[in-house]
Amino acid sequence: MTAVIQTEKLTKSYGSHRGIIDVDLQVAQGEVFGFLGPNGAGKTTTIRTMLDLIRPTSGRALVFGIESSADPVAIHRRVGYIPGEFALYDRLTGSQTLEYFANLRGGVDRAYQASLIERFDLDPSRRYKEYSKGNKQKVGVIIALQHRPELLLLDEPTSGLDPLVQQTFFATLRETVQSGATVFLSSHILSEVEKSADRVAIIRDGCIVKTDTVEGLRDLAHHQVELRFAGPVPADEFAALPGVSDLVADDHVLRMRVAGAITPVVRAAARYELLDFVSREPSLEETFLAQYGQVPVEVTGDGH
Amino acid sequence: MAISAGAPRPTVAASFPPIPLHRRLYGFGSVYGKTIRDSRLAVIIAAGLFGGLSLVLGAAIGTVFPTPAARLEVDKLVGSMPASMVNLFGNATLMGPKLGTLGGYMSWKYGALFGLGAGLWSILALSGTLAGESARGSLDFVAAAPFGKRRIALEKLAAHLTMLWLAMAVIAVMVFVSSNVFGDPSLGDPIPLGGSIGFALWVGFIAMCFGGLALALAPLLGRAGSAAVAGIVMVALWVASGLNVGGPLVAVSPFHWTVNHIPLVGFYDWTGLATVGVVAVIFLVIGVELFRRRDLGVTAGLSLPALPKDVLGVRGPVARAFGDQLPRALAWGLGMGLMGGLLASLVGSFANQVGKDTTITKTFATIFPGYDFATAGGWLQLYVALFYIAAGFAAATFVSKWASDETEGRLEEVLAGPTSRARWVIAGGVAAVGAVVLMTAILALGIGLGASTGGATAGDAILGSASLGLYAVAIVGIGVAVGGLWRTSLAAEIAALVVVATYLIDLLAPPLKMPDWFHQLALTAHMGQPMVGQWDAFGIVACVVIAVVGILLGAWGVTRRDVAR
Repeated sequence: MTAVIQTEKLTKSYGSHRGIIDVDLQVAQGEVFGFLGPNGAGKTTTIRTMLDLIRPTSGRALVFGIESSADPVAIHRRVGYIPGEFALYDRLTGSQTLEYFANLRGGVDRAYQASLIERFDLDPSRRYKEYSKGNKQKVGVIIALQHRPELLLLDEPTSGLDPLVQQTFFATLRETVQSGATVFLSSHILSEVEKSADRVAIIRDGCIVKTDTVEGLRDLAHHQVELRFAGPVPADEFAALPGVSDLVADDHVLRMRVAGAITPVVRAAARYELLDFVSREPSLEETFLAQYGQVPVEVTGDGH
Repeated sequence: MAISAGAPRPTVAASFPPIPLHRRLYGFGSVYGKTIRDSRLAVIIAAGLFGGLSLVLGAAIGTVFPTPAARLEVDKLVGSMPASMVNLFGNATLMGPKLGTLGGYMSWKYGALFGLGAGLWSILALSGTLAGESARGSLDFVAAAPFGKRRIALEKLAAHLTMLWLAMAVIAVMVFVSSNVFGDPSLGDPIPLGGSIGFALWVGFIAMCFGGLALALAPLLGRAGSAAVAGIVMVALWVASGLNVGGPLVAVSPFHWTVNHIPLVGFYDWTGLATVGVVAVIFLVIGVELFRRRDLGVTAGLSLPALPKDVLGVRGPVARAFGDQLPRALAWGLGMGLMGGLLASLVGSFANQVGKDTTITKTFATIFPGYDFATAGGWLQLYVALFYIAAGFAAATFVSKWASDETEGRLEEVLAGPTSRARWVIAGGVAAVGAVVLMTAILALGIGLGASTGGATAGDAILGSASLGLYAVAIVGIGVAVGGLWRTSLAAEIAALVVVATYLIDLLAPPLKMPDWFHQLALTAHMGQPMVGQWDAFGIVACVVIAVVGILLGAWGVTRRDVAR
C-alpha cells in the first residue's frame, strides 16, 4: 500500500529544548492513523514539520512521497489542516473567513462548503470574535475540509466541540475516508482515537514508543482475570503459568494479571469447576496509561 | 438542531467559479487583497495626517511669513543657530536663501517629521504583518495554503508598499496643491510637481528602509522586538545625522545619505536617494527570505533576564497590572530620557549664541512667542514641548496594555475571582499612572543630567519633566474612561487621537489665528513653561482631575456594560 506519510528519523530541537527525536512513522493511503501523546510530547511539532511550517533538525518527512521541505506547496495543495491552537480574523464573519481560505486554494465547491456549514450548524453571518470556542473550532474544521483534501492533518480537532458535534465530525471523517482520503489524527483523547483510528502511534517525550493497530495495543496490556472456584483455590498451579503475575487468593476467588495470550489460563481453569470467569479487556486508555505512567491496569468493570 | 442532518456528498467535484480580479486586489481573493483590506484604516489615517499636514503647513507658513522681510528673518534665525543643531530637521546650510521659501521652511522645520512618521508607520506595519499574524495563530492556516511562504511574505509586503506609496502620492499632491494655492510666487513659494514628488519619494524610501529593517528582524526577534530595535535605530540615525556627530552612526544613516536631497527647494540628490532605496530593498529581501527559511512562529526573541515575581507582580490586581506595564514604562523612559538628555545637553550653546544677538532673539520670539531664547531653560522648554507628543503616545500604549486584559480575553478569568469590575479598572488605571511615574522619573533623570551639562538649571529641568508626566496621566484618564464607558478595543486609539489633536491645535491655532477658546482646548496650552520654573496651576489641576475622573468614570462605566469576550 502506498505510504501517504513517511517520516525517517525525524528530529526537531528548539535550541536546548527537546522537540521530537528520531520519529519514524508510516501512514498508508486510506488509513486513519491515530497519534497519541500527552501535552508537550511532540505531536504538534511532528505535524508542523510535515507541513514545512518548521524545518527538521535532522531526518525527513515525506508526504505523498514529497519531502516536506523540498516542495511544501505541492503537499499543501492536497492537505487539509486543523492546527492545535489557532486564532482567525476577529472582524471577519464566518462566511468571509471561509471564503478567504477557499480563495487561497483557488476556490472550492460552494455546494459542498454549504453542506458542511449546514452539517456543523454554523451561523456564518456572525463575526469570528463573536463565536463561542466550539463555533470557532467548527470554522477551523470546515476550512480543513471544504476543499476535499486527500490528506487531513488534524491536531486535536475536537477541542471545544460538544459531543453531538463531535459525532458529526467523526461521521464526516468516516465519509471522507470512504471516499479515499487519509487521516492523521493527533489527540490526547484516547477514546476518540480508539473508535476512529485503524492504527495508533504513541509518542512520549518526543520519541515514538509504540506503533501498532488499536487491537495490537490493547493486547499489550495485562488482562485482569478473576476466577471464582466451587472448591479450594489452586493458586500454585496458576502461579506457574506463563505470563501470570500478581496472584491474589481470597476465599474461593483467585485474581491475577495475565500478560500476552490468555489461553494457558483458560486451559488450566477448565480442569476445575468454576462458578465464574471474568476477563477484562483493557481499554486503550489503560494501555496508554500503562505505557506512560506505569499505572497498573485494574479490573473495575465487568466486561467479559 | 440540524447537526446530524447529513448532506449527501457529490461524487463529482463541481467546477469552481473564478475569483474576480477586484477581489484579488481588495477583499478576500488573495493574501494581497486581504492585507490591502486590513490596511484601509491605517492608510486613511496616514494619508489624512500627512496630506492634511502638508495642506495646513502651506497655509500656516504663508500666514506667519507673508512678506520678504519676514522670510529674511527666518534666514537670519537659522544662520545664527549653532552649526551642530541647525540641520537636525533639515539641511538649512545647503538651502541658504531658499530657506525663506515655503518649501524651504517646510523642509527645514517639518521635513524630518514626515520621514519619521512614515517610518514609524512602516515599522509597525512590517514588523507586525507576518510576526503579528504568526503570534496570533492564524498564519498556520494561511501557510498551509498551496503556495510558499515566500509568496505569502511578498503579497503582504506588496500590500503594505501599495498603501505606503498611495499615502506618498497624497503627500505629493497635497504639497503641490498647498504651495501653489497658498504660496506667494514672488517669494518663490510654489513647488513644482517634480519637487513634491521628489519629497514624497524621500519620505517613502526612508519609510521603506526602516520598515524593511523591521521586516528583516521580525523573523528573528518577533513583532515587538523588531519594532523596538528598528524604531530605536531610526531615531538614533536621524539624531546622529542631524547633529552630525561624526563616526559610523552618521556614515550608515539614510538621513545622512540624503542630506543634500531637498526637493522642495529644487535640490535633488538622486544617488543618495537611490542608495536608501537599494538598502531598503535589501532589507525587504532579507526579511522575505528569512521568513521563508525560518520556522514559522519560532523567534529567538530578545534575551531579557527573568524578572523576580515581586517585579512581575503576582500579589494583586495593581501589582499585576503594573508588572505588565513595566517593560513599556522602562522602554519609553529610557528612550525619552536619552533623547531628552541629548537635547538638554545642547541648549547651553544655543542660548549663548542666540542670546548675544538681540535681533535674532526677537526673530525667534516672533516665531515662538513666550519663550526666552537667551536662556538655556527657554531652549529646553521649546524642545520639551515636542516630548508632549511622545509622552501622550506612551500613555496611549499604557492604556492599550490595560485594555488588553479585555481585548485578549483575560478579563473573564480575572473577574471570575473576587475582583470586581470597578476594582479592575481602578487597579489598571493606578498601574498605568504608576507606569507614567516611572517613565517620567527616568526621563527626568536623563533631562536633568543633560541640562546640568548644557547650562540649564538641572533642578528646574528635573521638576519640569513632571509636566510631561502630568499630561500623560491625563491621557491615561481619557483612555481608561473610554475603555470603561464604551469599549476597551478603542481606548488606546482614541487616547492617541486626542494626543494628535492636542498637538495640532497647539501647533496650528496661533499661526492660523484661530479663536483663542479653540487654542485653549489643547491641554498642552495650559502647562506653562515648567522647564524655567513657570507652572500653570490650571494645567496641573486639569491633568490631575482628568486622570482621576477618567479612571473613576471608567470604573463606573464598566459596571454598566457587558464584558467583551
